[in-house]
Amino acid sequence: MADVKIFREVLPKQGQLSVEDVTTMVLCKPKLLPLKSLSLEKLDKMQQAAHDTIRQQQMAEKEKQEKAH
Amino acid sequence: MGSDMEPLLLAWSYFRRRKFQLCADLCTQMLEKSPYDQAAWILKARALTEMVYIDEIDVDQEGIAEMLLDENAIAQVPRPGTSLKLPGSSQTGGPSPAIRPVTQAGRPITGFLRPGTQSGRPGTMEQALRTPRTTYTARPITGSSGRFIRLGTASMLTSPDGPFINLSRLNLTKYSQKPKLAKALFEYIFHHENDIKTALDLAALSTEHSQYKDWWWKVQIGKCYYRLGMYREAEKQFKSALKQQEMVDTFLYLAKVYMALDQPVTALNLFKQGLDKFPGEVTLLCGIARIYEEMNNSSSAAEYYKEVLKQDNTHVEAIACIGSNHFYSDQPEIALRFYRRLLQMGVYNCQLLNNLGLCCFYAQQYDMTLTSFERALSLAENEEETADVWYNVGHVAVGIGDVNLAHQCFRLALVSNNHHAEAYNNLAVLEMRKGHVEQARALLQTAASLAPHMYEPHFNFATISDKIGDLQRSYLAAQKAEAAFPDHVDTQQLIKQLKQHFAML
Repeated sequence: MADVKIFREVLPKQGQLSVEDVTTMVLCKPKLLPLKSLSLEKLDKMQQAAHDTIRQQQMAEKEKQEKAH
Repeated sequence: MGSDMEPLLLAWSYFRRRKFQLCADLCTQMLEKSPYDQAAWILKARALTEMVYIDEIDVDQEGIAEMLLDENAIAQVPRPGTSLKLPGSSQTGGPSPAIRPVTQAGRPITGFLRPGTQSGRPGTMEQALRTPRTTYTARPITGSSGRFIRLGTASMLTSPDGPFINLSRLNLTKYSQKPKLAKALFEYIFHHENDIKTALDLAALSTEHSQYKDWWWKVQIGKCYYRLGMYREAEKQFKSALKQQEMVDTFLYLAKVYMALDQPVTALNLFKQGLDKFPGEVTLLCGIARIYEEMNNSSSAAEYYKEVLKQDNTHVEAIACIGSNHFYSDQPEIALRFYRRLLQMGVYNCQLLNNLGLCCFYAQQYDMTLTSFERALSLAENEEETADVWYNVGHVAVGIGDVNLAHQCFRLALVSNNHHAEAYNNLAVLEMRKGHVEQARALLQTAASLAPHMYEPHFNFATISDKIGDLQRSYLAAQKAEAAFPDHVDTQQLIKQLKQHFAML
């Protein structure tokens, strides 16, 4: 308890308060992710499906060629 | 039971239950038995169309060629507030990039992604070629080589004995005499085959046959012209259709034409005319809000989104946009309510849970934060989404002062997506706190080259260079930061200081 009395709070009642402005580095801000619209989702899905079918067909053709050799 | 049913009825039932593949297969069987069965033919065409149908109003695939060689804009140097090309020009309530992140085109990020929001006209070829950060789909070189063609080829590959309808052998004049058949055929050609020229031919013949009295065909011709990039012709067709019959759709198409011509104010007026005829129509209100948002006028946009919600309180786009607006105007508690509403409505994906996590953290509901992020991570569909979630978890870690965790999160974001410029920048800030100047500089340079539109990496680089005495580089970087964000006070001060230094030399 005695220590508390030694460090008493000092609040100046008058005069100006000045703080030196230090430039700090800035962080990029947190990013809310935009929700996708239904048609965008459908487009993405269709594109993915198209991609998959093409890839499957390519794989099948490759296998055929390998078997032929 | 099913085999006893009349096949056409069964196919029709499949169609109504949206089982289009089954419907098409059944129709194929029927057509094999009787090739001239018109009912089966038309049903199959409709089923195939529905499979790839996308609302044409939403479709807006601008390719690089269209964007950079765009000569449709009326004024090359438009007045401020009348164009979509100068995102920074209208200073009416646009959020500052110090608070709300911006996209590559310099627009504040939106709360909702549509096919059209991907465009955002970039200024230079270099910018256009770079994949936009927020959308994750690379831009095609031109609109006509875009997604639509790719989808078309895929559908052809999947049918082993050639396409369902051989367009080159079609006698269009014959079909145009039969209006009911012609409409289904047109939709098939337009949506499934993406053969716009043939579709336009059919529409032109049909409208002639109907003696220019059918507004539907005029709208279809307009749609074809729009896809072919002939905006003025499209405008004429839509206007003529509107004179005959006022439809909400036609208003929306016409507004799309004006947007392509870079005349947002005309589009706004048109929407307001439409609202006089159809008071409280949600799509029209939403169209107005989107235009305001693209013009960087987010306060007006929010007003109209609220109007949308008064009419339709389950409108996902409006809720998401208002939510993100509140979040970036320092009201995460209110944003939280909007996003929670979306969750209650059944939207359950990575993006939403990520947003909920962020809102919870900034609204000081710490118990929900990490669980939301965990779920978001488990729901992420691709690496880019994972990266964004880790990036945001990194922010939470910075917020609670756990520098190690933050470091690890930003690293994880970079593991998932090596082009995540924000993560590079934030990692650099953390490295700088540890006193690793060289590493921080390297990270900042990477961030700046990945995302030259962000001011943060340039500014940070300028600050570091200034501290270690490399004034020339500092000045160059500061100028770039000023170009990206002219109103940033710290950048202005830094430039002023540097100029004083140079003057003393």
